[in-house]
Amino acid sequence: MEIVFSSINDSAARFSITGTSQPFANALRRAMIGEVPTLAIEDVRIYDNTSALFDEMLGHRLGLIPIRTDLDCYIPQEKCSCEGAGCDRCSVMFTLSVEGPAMVYSRDLIPQDPRAAPAVDGIPIVKLTKDQKVVLEARAVLNSGRVHAKWQPTTTCGFKNYPIVEISDRCDACGQCVEECPRGILVVKGGRVTVVEGRLEECSLCRLCERACLNTGIGEEPAIRVRSDDSRFIFVVEGDGSLPVREIVQRALLYLKSQSDELCEKIGEVSGVTGDEEENE
Amino acid sequence: MAGAYKCARCKQKVEIDVNVRCPYCGHRILFKERGAAIKELKAR
Repeated sequence: MEIVFSSINDSAARFSITGTSQPFANALRRAMIGEVPTLAIEDVRIYDNTSALFDEMLGHRLGLIPIRTDLDCYIPQEKCSCEGAGCDRCSVMFTLSVEGPAMVYSRDLIPQDPRAAPAVDGIPIVKLTKDQKVVLEARAVLNSGRVHAKWQPTTTCGFKNYPIVEISDRCDACGQCVEECPRGILVVKGGRVTVVEGRLEECSLCRLCERACLNTGIGEEPAIRVRSDDSRFIFVVEGDGSLPVREIVQRALLYLKSQSDELCEKIGEVSGVTGDEEENE
Repeated sequence: MAGAYKCARCKQKVEIDVNVRCPYCGHRILFKERGAAIKELKAR
């Protein structure tokens, strides 16, 4: 398996994986979305809320705020020795107290642990007019996106097959496909159509170029063919700020590994052969 | 029906018995006051 990163920073990554299957690519996608834990507000204690929003609506909005998560410092509540009561190891307390006229932003949530602050400062929560007030306490806990979307560490997270564009010698460089391509990946160069350098990955496999080619009356078969590579995938992963994208990918892969190891172990238990013995053979 | 209400115009505390009307200024828009209890809920 070959992995090539075209770009990676804290908020987004783009990479291609070669030599794997669609089910594996989908497993990685699902692991990144649903199995990498993050912090999100779960319990809210509202002392005062005279804003235009109902308490439930306010709570819902608070839950969706991404919170910077240090996975080495926190553990899920079900694994904590406090047994769900809430302690420093498994939860973070926040306080919010704002009086109108003002807009309440995510930066107004004051965390007990400064490392676990909201990932983005300027998320509007509710607008207060004169004499309106919101006073509340919130508790964020670690959980995974499988339970609720607020615990997803990703926003955009998906993959597509790697495109293969083949242009045969029958191409007369009429330029119809160049005009039709919505992504602008084709160009007429030196008397024939070619793919613009470095833009092949932009192809959305829409095949409008094939249809444009056929419409020129070239015959039964178009001179340009677009196929997808079934063993090569382009991933686009964007984080919501709670975790760096690098860590999201790493944690998802570790999750897949631990699941596979567990399966191996179970199969070994059933068949009476351990993984180590199999390796030795 | 008795409960803590507040007149929208004169901001006085009002008890509603029969008519929905402020006994002090006659205004007919009353706000129900929020109780003192702390509300706990799930952020979902």
